[in-house]
Amino acid sequence: MEVRKFVLKRFVEIFIIFFVILTVLFLLFRLAPGDPVTRMVDPTLTPEDSQHLIAQLGLDQPMGLQYLYYIKNFLTGNFGNSFHYGETVSSIIWSRLPNTIILFTTSILLSAFVGVFLGKIASWKKGTKTDTWMTLGALVCHTLFLPWLAMLMIWIFGFKIGWFPLNGMISPEIWMDPSSGVWLKILDVLHHMVLPLATLFSIHFGSYLLLMRSSMLDTLKEDYILTARAKGLEEKTIRNKHAAPNAALPVVTSVGISLAFSLSGGALTETVFSWPGIGRELVFAVSNSDYPLAQASFLLIATVVLISNLVVDVLYAYLDPRITY
Amino acid sequence: MVERFLEGWSVYKENLIGKIGLTLLVIFALMALCSFFPPMIDPMYHPMTGVDPQISHATSPSWRHWLGTDFIGRDILCQLLAGARIAFMVGISAAFMSIFLGTVVGMIAGYSGKIVDTLLMRLADMILVMPTLLVVLILSSLFGQLNIWTIVLLIALFRWPGVSRVIRAQTLSLKERPFIEAAKVAGASHFRIIFRHIMPNVLPLSLLYMTFRVTSAIIIEAALAFLGFGDPSTVSWGMMLQWVWKTGHMFQAPYWLLPPGICISLLTLAFYMLGRAMEEVLDPRLRKEVAQE
Repeated sequence: MEVRKFVLKRFVEIFIIFFVILTVLFLLFRLAPGDPVTRMVDPTLTPEDSQHLIAQLGLDQPMGLQYLYYIKNFLTGNFGNSFHYGETVSSIIWSRLPNTIILFTTSILLSAFVGVFLGKIASWKKGTKTDTWMTLGALVCHTLFLPWLAMLMIWIFGFKIGWFPLNGMISPEIWMDPSSGVWLKILDVLHHMVLPLATLFSIHFGSYLLLMRSSMLDTLKEDYILTARAKGLEEKTIRNKHAAPNAALPVVTSVGISLAFSLSGGALTETVFSWPGIGRELVFAVSNSDYPLAQASFLLIATVVLISNLVVDVLYAYLDPRITY
Repeated sequence: MVERFLEGWSVYKENLIGKIGLTLLVIFALMALCSFFPPMIDPMYHPMTGVDPQISHATSPSWRHWLGTDFIGRDILCQLLAGARIAFMVGISAAFMSIFLGTVVGMIAGYSGKIVDTLLMRLADMILVMPTLLVVLILSSLFGQLNIWTIVLLIALFRWPGVSRVIRAQTLSLKERPFIEAAKVAGASHFRIIFRHIMPNVLPLSLLYMTFRVTSAIIIEAALAFLGFGDPSTVSWGMMLQWVWKTGHMFQAPYWLLPPGICISLLTLAFYMLGRAMEEVLDPRLRKEVAQE
């Protein structure tokens, strides 16, 4: 019951935050130097078409009404047309979203699991050579400059050795060929995914490792670990059953906090690898002054961050029964 | 004050990670200082405008250009040195501003409590979940090309919430201490209590967070420049990487691709290591762990 109340409270908070972001974005797009009409309506449209779009977006109305139009359009998923693609923004965004989610979720989960696992070992071997090298390695991986690492990956594994494709998400010749089966297509996507995934993984697992290590060292000082030792349990059982689950809790919170950082990284990775996701679309839209697309992709990324934060909070509430809200 | 510093230093210099970090920082600081000299030797060594009259394409390292030249014949080593200067400038000024903002907001929120606290902390939560890089991207699309100081300011404005949370927690516990009570009874104003009595006690913590903020500021600026939204009148390492990438020299010119990336990575690593070592100096709990080893 308590948990449900907490979740509801977080839900309301996140809803309010989202509304504020929506409003700030509206104000920014209206107050920035230049004419909002030229910003939201494709200059290459015919006069009738642009008149129609202006009416639809409410750009001929006073500010207050414009805001209502904006909210209504947002709720109905109408973001106008992309200047560059000429299609509706929502159709572009919906086709890119799954690609981002696939890459992003896989990389976060993989780096969190490996980070937690290695952090556990490092804390257990504290003070030894293994620990020193793992900590140093984690620090170095974590501070590598992401776009540069991405370029190195492409250069070494894509260009020099040639194991993996240089960029993109699919090979057209496989997807155009009607005879290729589903498994071949899945394999093809996985093949393209290896390098971006490896890049994101290298950047992220280090921070999880360091966090798990210090959290584990804290946990090992708890009384219940002493109790477990006194009972004569095996070290392995103490480490895996008693210490690790509790020590992993802060890592769950940090996944939530570092999401914003990871999404920026995701956008960079997608851009360098030409992975057709939301982040790349945002960078592309900003470079080409494609304002409707930029606005919508930013909103969507903000939504993803907020929802993931909510998920992490709820997860935490269920994972740690000691916490009362 | 001096004693405290010396005591801290004696703990610090025992720390391997801290020593590596400090050494790297000194090297980069020397690089930044050296950046003033090459343009004096010959105008062709100017990182932005200096073009070697005999070279019009990317060339590999030679005696004339130790790290080679970029696609229009500018010296890569000179750009690298100038980049160190920009990185320090961006990192330290953005970190200083965001720490200043975060400390003041944190102290005010913690000290005032009630509605002020709630409002400031909700604002902090909101900014905390926003990906700074993408926010700055959107702003640069709306307001056109940003110059380097605007970028610094924007980074500072979006990177204070993490600090203010920590400072607020610290202030909350300080507020209950007798010396604050004493100051109140003695008739000190709120302003005086915050800046004269609370601030000296939270400053070490702010300083620690500053090293981590330097790291993130450098990374954000570099990423922004890499995506083509940097200040076009400066040569930063991110900008150099963008040139390699955009001019398609990624596969042909490793002498051009490697140095800027190594520099960004090592400089951020240096500040990060500095921060972790300082953490041990400031937190005796962590320090004891080291002593036991």
